[in-house]
Amino acid sequence: MMDLKEVFFDPNHPTLLGSCARAATAEEARFRVQYPNSRTRSSRIFALDAGAAEAMYAITEDPWNGAHFLTLVDRGPVDPATTDARDLPLAHPDGTSADLTEETDGADVVVLLATSGDNEGAAEVIAREAFHRHIMCAGLALGSGKSDASVDRVVNSMRRFATVLVVARDNDYIPAMLTALRA
Amino acid sequence: MLRKEYNDLLTQTDPGTSMGDMFRQYWVPALLASELAENDCDPVRVKLLGERLIAFRDTEGRYGLMDEFCAHRGVSLWFGRNEEGGLRCPYHGWKYDHTGQCIEVPSESAESGFCQKVKLRSYPLIKVGDVLWTHMGSEENRPPEPAWEFANLPPEQTYTSKRWQECNWLQAMEGGIDSSHVSFLHSGSLKTDPLFKGAKGNQYNQNDKKPVFEVVESDGGLYIGARRMAEDDHYYWRITPWVMPSFTMVPPRGDHPVHGHFWIPIDDENCWAWSFDYHPTRALTDKERQAMIDGYGVHNQYVPGTFRPRQNKDNDYLMDREAQRRGETYSGIWGIAMQDASLQESMGPIVDRTKENLVSTDNGIIMARHRLRKACEALRDKGIQPPGLVPEHQQVRSAARVLPPDQPFKDAMKDDLTVRPGVKQTSV
Ligand code: FES
Ligand SMILES: [Fe+2]
Repeated sequence: MMDLKEVFFDPNHPTLLGSCARAATAEEARFRVQYPNSRTRSSRIFALDAGAAEAMYAITEDPWNGAHFLTLVDRGPVDPATTDARDLPLAHPDGTSADLTEETDGADVVVLLATSGDNEGAAEVIAREAFHRHIMCAGLALGSGKSDASVDRVVNSMRRFATVLVVARDNDYIPAMLTALRA
Repeated sequence: MLRKEYNDLLTQTDPGTSMGDMFRQYWVPALLASELAENDCDPVRVKLLGERLIAFRDTEGRYGLMDEFCAHRGVSLWFGRNEEGGLRCPYHGWKYDHTGQCIEVPSESAESGFCQKVKLRSYPLIKVGDVLWTHMGSEENRPPEPAWEFANLPPEQTYTSKRWQECNWLQAMEGGIDSSHVSFLHSGSLKTDPLFKGAKGNQYNQNDKKPVFEVVESDGGLYIGARRMAEDDHYYWRITPWVMPSFTMVPPRGDHPVHGHFWIPIDDENCWAWSFDYHPTRALTDKERQAMIDGYGVHNQYVPGTFRPRQNKDNDYLMDREAQRRGETYSGIWGIAMQDASLQESMGPIVDRTKENLVSTDNGIIMARHRLRKACEALRDKGIQPPGLVPEHQQVRSAARVLPPDQPFKDAMKDDLTVRPGVKQTSV
């Protein structure tokens, strides 16, 4: 049995409500300070294939907190051994090209979106860059209507690089997650 | 963060609310069977999903769960006389059977049939395992009886407790799927708690404090995998299942019994934290059972005669700063259950999720909220039944295992994560 000194509340020595655990009431919750407790994050979202880009473009117009949405330009498979961060072909939603090192400079969170396992090499280049900069890298595998085997390929393509990996059945998880992360 | 409209949607469960309707689709634990231990025993007040009810067991052993207040002038039937096949209001003697049907109004002649016209709202109450379950939704949609493994094993293999938690059900439940807090909040207890300590897996926990998470949707909810480094570049995996709306399990350690929880709304500012322990293939030892009774593991100690924890907000949870400094407990609060409850209650009755700053490792929580919201809206807008109602969704287990690096847990551990009668849990 535990050996702890009993310190039950003594009604003869009342504590100010706000200075003990009893303050966990709805009334006291009103006094939680109303100042912001964080500054805007810089989120970088990378769509690794056409399916992921399509899902991503559906939401890029929403009001985000400065998130950057980027797509991998399809120029065939990327060999991570020979591809420098600066050489990864990336594009902004308006079609202009983007530079991975500039995009990750000062970023707080990197999210990889994939619907196929085809771009493991590009995932590695991005994740490597995030790793060097100590940026959290999350992978989101979108599996709507796909077989288990093909979802596995997507997941496996990102497993080595992501600190957290999510296998979502529906694309509507993208905005749900980005909103939750204040992207 | 979560928008206020969704926070309201998920946290409000009174009658007429969307989440309340969703909870009313399920069989939910209402009482420990031991609370109504024998025929004609004392009635028990029960508040669930914002409804005040009275539970009793009649002369023939039938369980009743109904509106707490007499239809005549509103007296609480807790004062009632449980006698001769019904509960009689002590004020003017109206009597009700276990279905809430009024069977006697002494002032009126029996021939008038007046009592036929009076019926209290009632819900079925069934015993499965050492728990009495109720279904508060419509009879047409009554799901199959609870098929959870812990409730369907011989009594010597299981132990269940419940405690009152003074906050909304969702923030309590989110603790159950938030595996990233274990390396911090419970780090002291992993080494000392008799129901946790001594497992090989604990060393992996201690050695690698930065687990990598994988969240995978299942038919009934989610599997949340936490991966840590083991020997030879292998991974030590701990998998937490969540089944909608509020069933969670803790990954096992060694041959210790497996445990888990149900998080059931009492009202919007209070919930029942149900905690169960079981071993799939052997009886619990006397020592294990005694440790559970003494409040170790996921259980707790009580204010005598109540389901309120002995450590509660009126005594600052018996905070012990010296134990905190020594590292015996990470937060200074004794016991795994109260380490969680103290912090969750400190957030306030319904935490303001618009102020949160979630990070990627919170994806289990983000996904659970997302699934709940979608299921809730599908039920409200299209009448679609939510996941978690059928036995197949309930046949889940938590598991812990060391795997080679190239094997996804959801395939390699498929069998480990499913109930296999007569087969031991998969654990390290
Ligand atoms: S560190 Fe998670 S709530 Fe404070
Ligand atoms: Fe916990």
